[in-house]
Amino acid sequence: MPTTITEQDLGLMDQVNSLARKARLAAAVFSQYSQEQVDNIVKAMTIAAINAAQDLAVSACEETKMGLVEDKIQKNLVASEFQFHQIRNKKTVGIIKEFPEDNMVEVAEPIGVILALSPVTNPTSTIIFKSIACAKTRNSIIFSPHLMAADCSNKAARIVYEAALAAGAPRDFITWIDKSPRLRRVTELLMAHPEVDLVFATGGTHMVKAAYSSGKPAIGVGSGNTPVYVHKSANITAAATDIIISKTFDNGTECPSEQTLIIDDEISDQLLSEFKRLGCHVCSAEEVDKVAETVIDARTGGMNYKYVGQPANLIAEHSGFTVPADSKILLCPMLGELRRHKLVVEKLMPVLGYVTVHSDQEGINRALDINYAGGTGHTAGIFADDESVIANFSEAINAGRIIINSPTSIGGLGGVYNNLNTTLSFGCGTGGGNITTDNVGISNLINYKRVPRRSNFIMSFQTTKNLYINPGSLDHLRELKTKTAFIVTSKSAAKRGHLALVTERLPAHTRVDTFSEIDAEPDFDTIARAIKRMKQSPPDTIIALGGGSVIDAAKIIRLFYEHPNLNLAEVAVSFLDFRHRLAVFPQETSIQLVAIPTTSGTGSEVTPFAVLSLHDGEDPISLNVGTADEHKTSAQKRKVSLIDQVLLPDIAIIDANLTKTLPKDITVDSAVDALTHSLESLVSSFASDYTDGLALEAMRLILEALPAVLENPSNVLLRHKLHNAACLAGMAIGNASVGLNHALAHSLGVVFGIPHGRANGVFLLSTLPHNAKIPTKFTAVSSYPLWIADEKYARAAQFLNLPVDEKAEKGSSREGLKQALIVALRRAVFDLLQSCGQPKSIAELGISEQQFQKELPKLVRLAFEDLSLRTNPSLPLQEEVAQLFVEAYPPRSRP
Amino acid sequence: MKKDNEKEHNRHKIVGSLLRNDEALEKVIASGKNVVVDFSQCNFISVAGLEWLESMLLKAGSGKAKVNFVDIPPTLYKVFKVARIPSILDACGSPIVSSVNPNC
Ligand SMILES: [Fe+2]
Repeated sequence: MPTTITEQDLGLMDQVNSLARKARLAAAVFSQYSQEQVDNIVKAMTIAAINAAQDLAVSACEETKMGLVEDKIQKNLVASEFQFHQIRNKKTVGIIKEFPEDNMVEVAEPIGVILALSPVTNPTSTIIFKSIACAKTRNSIIFSPHLMAADCSNKAARIVYEAALAAGAPRDFITWIDKSPRLRRVTELLMAHPEVDLVFATGGTHMVKAAYSSGKPAIGVGSGNTPVYVHKSANITAAATDIIISKTFDNGTECPSEQTLIIDDEISDQLLSEFKRLGCHVCSAEEVDKVAETVIDARTGGMNYKYVGQPANLIAEHSGFTVPADSKILLCPMLGELRRHKLVVEKLMPVLGYVTVHSDQEGINRALDINYAGGTGHTAGIFADDESVIANFSEAINAGRIIINSPTSIGGLGGVYNNLNTTLSFGCGTGGGNITTDNVGISNLINYKRVPRRSNFIMSFQTTKNLYINPGSLDHLRELKTKTAFIVTSKSAAKRGHLALVTERLPAHTRVDTFSEIDAEPDFDTIARAIKRMKQSPPDTIIALGGGSVIDAAKIIRLFYEHPNLNLAEVAVSFLDFRHRLAVFPQETSIQLVAIPTTSGTGSEVTPFAVLSLHDGEDPISLNVGTADEHKTSAQKRKVSLIDQVLLPDIAIIDANLTKTLPKDITVDSAVDALTHSLESLVSSFASDYTDGLALEAMRLILEALPAVLENPSNVLLRHKLHNAACLAGMAIGNASVGLNHALAHSLGVVFGIPHGRANGVFLLSTLPHNAKIPTKFTAVSSYPLWIADEKYARAAQFLNLPVDEKAEKGSSREGLKQALIVALRRAVFDLLQSCGQPKSIAELGISEQQFQKELPKLVRLAFEDLSLRTNPSLPLQEEVAQLFVEAYPPRSRP
Repeated sequence: MKKDNEKEHNRHKIVGSLLRNDEALEKVIASGKNVVVDFSQCNFISVAGLEWLESMLLKAGSGKAKVNFVDIPPTLYKVFKVARIPSILDACGSPIVSSVNPNC
């Protein structure tokens, strides 16, 4: 707060410091209290307040010359008895709330020292209310009473404090500023005092503003101007009674009380005559002018504080006309432009404006006029039976409490006519310059400590449901339940004779259509063409026959055929954690997808992944089946991944007979891809006991079978081992995903057009040692709270029975043995690549150093944004990714 | 309040609730000896207790005797932290000035 302490203030500082210190020590001591101790104190305070309700009401009326004793007694009881009823069973110490489904608890921390400002309109009730609320929440409170109500306020504070002390409360947890001409200055100094933790201001706008400017957290309340719409569907006699009860309560000093009525034309005569019958005075136009002249301060345009809480007859008398002494309310028709009428403002006295309206729309708009004439965020009311007008009213009006079919003043206090929190402090939200729209109470006087327990990742294991394995399993097609099949394949499938093998096995009378235009990198145009073809003869089955790109394409074809309005951009969104990803895939599918891999690599037949190429400049936002044709083919620049279990094929046929004729280069490329899948899924941050077994066995099969297949390419048994290995590794990555090596390979593949498996091979000898090192940065989203990549590599070497340096084996240190095992694994990978003649470095791919250096920044950027990185056991830094590329360039020597 | 004076002159244990002055400890302090105050058995401290600790530390300070608070249960240590009385924090070995950290 911009408070400069003047010389005059120095004399006050002793008082200020003493109050602050007392409150500080009390707050410290209060922190030790149990719920039971606190509740006993609160009970004692409540009893004392109830007993003193009348005495304090009389004192308040005498001192402030406002309001009515009878109603002030009621307010004191609302602050004590009603509040007690609401908070008696509430927990405010220790664990106050549990969220079992979120595995979290909430623990209460007191606010500390609260400086509380109290108003002249509700002095004693506000003090009682805040004192009890503070005791319940173990805070200490310093009261700054309104100067015109200081004696009764401090008397109220003393009564509840003494009762609390007798019940064991900390000494001085309630204190107050004594009445003096310097009261306001002391308050300002306290607002800026370092020992004050929160300013809780209920009172005039000036003090609330000061509280918000103090630089301290503050709970302030705004000013009101309550519009009340009496709709034609309302119960008119009940509305009249409720409004009288409310507006006359404490002579209108309650700030949520009715200020202007908006009355439907159809019922205005009836309502007004009911008001008259019950003792209200309906003013003539001339009288309205006189009242406005009197109760509105011409200087400010606001109400004249002299008349706050004064009786109706006195206001009439001062305005120059007479009404019966027991007149309850002066009802003032507001003719002419409502928004410029003098009485449009708040009038905390029994002066009630009204206008008539001809429709719901006009009714709500006039209510908005009142609402926005100084009362935003505070209170509004409506009397109506029609739910739709209530809904429209609540939507339009900006008020923290919108009271339906009941008095707004007592209704706003809460706990009497409704289940609002009992309060004497009405939060008005930002409409009133406040932080909350709450009925401020104990829940606003607690610091909430949220204590979430670690939630275990719920992992699932999903794969293709029906696998038919062993050479010859293609015969399963004979039993396939299909009448109309759509075969998705590549040109080479026909050449290699695979297409015929499939079609001749399909059940007789199956109508078959074939789309064989899938190439190595299918794009969305191809997908769209296939879908167009499918539409000509709608199939019940899609058969994907080919390598990974064919099966991927078939997955996407099925998805977009069944959901033509699906937007590619929405399902291909990148994500950090697959459980919270934005993409929502439609789960309904009625076409069965049969995947028949003819290579042993991607394992796409058992994964929920599909990769699609996008052309340069192609925006996935605009891509759905309808728009694909418009896109001209251009250089392919990037790939997007679709990931969802709905993409999983229903049936996979793992028949190694189809791989017998696979050329050597494709055999090795795809086997290296599968090997990479096994190595990466093993150490993935989403690896599980379920995927580890698959990864290890796949690794073993590849290391054993690949060199043998190269020697004996048409040996189906050996091919069978490789084919199984690819499928097992596919299941592993389908659930644990891949890692860093794939990120690098994807990037290299896109930039230089290197086949996927070959690209994987050149990085393996870099990523293995990199992932075996303690990471610079651990990956944050992991399904297990450990980093064990090195252990897992070592375990793999042991499982594979790899030869280890004798020295290390005999050596004493476990760490030494582990490192030796990791080296053994690296050697095994090196030897395998070497024996297959497979490139082990980027240079061996025929990429010149110059080209490589030129593309390096792009390579790093693409790799870094690759989804595969998310499940790597470490999160590589950008510079580490760059280093890995650089390292992978020169030819390698054996580890 | 129960008191449990241990044999050694320079160690004093506060037992139970510290509601007002502890005469035995006052005597030790008056003798000008350094003293270690053991709070392990103390389970509550009142406002008066806090005020007395502060005045006792003031006396010890003027007599150049060192007073150390040890084995303070967290509930009590929290009271000391919230109360922010410099001499008490000092006796706990805790820094007094709260640093201003950047917001985030
Ligand atoms: Fe792969």
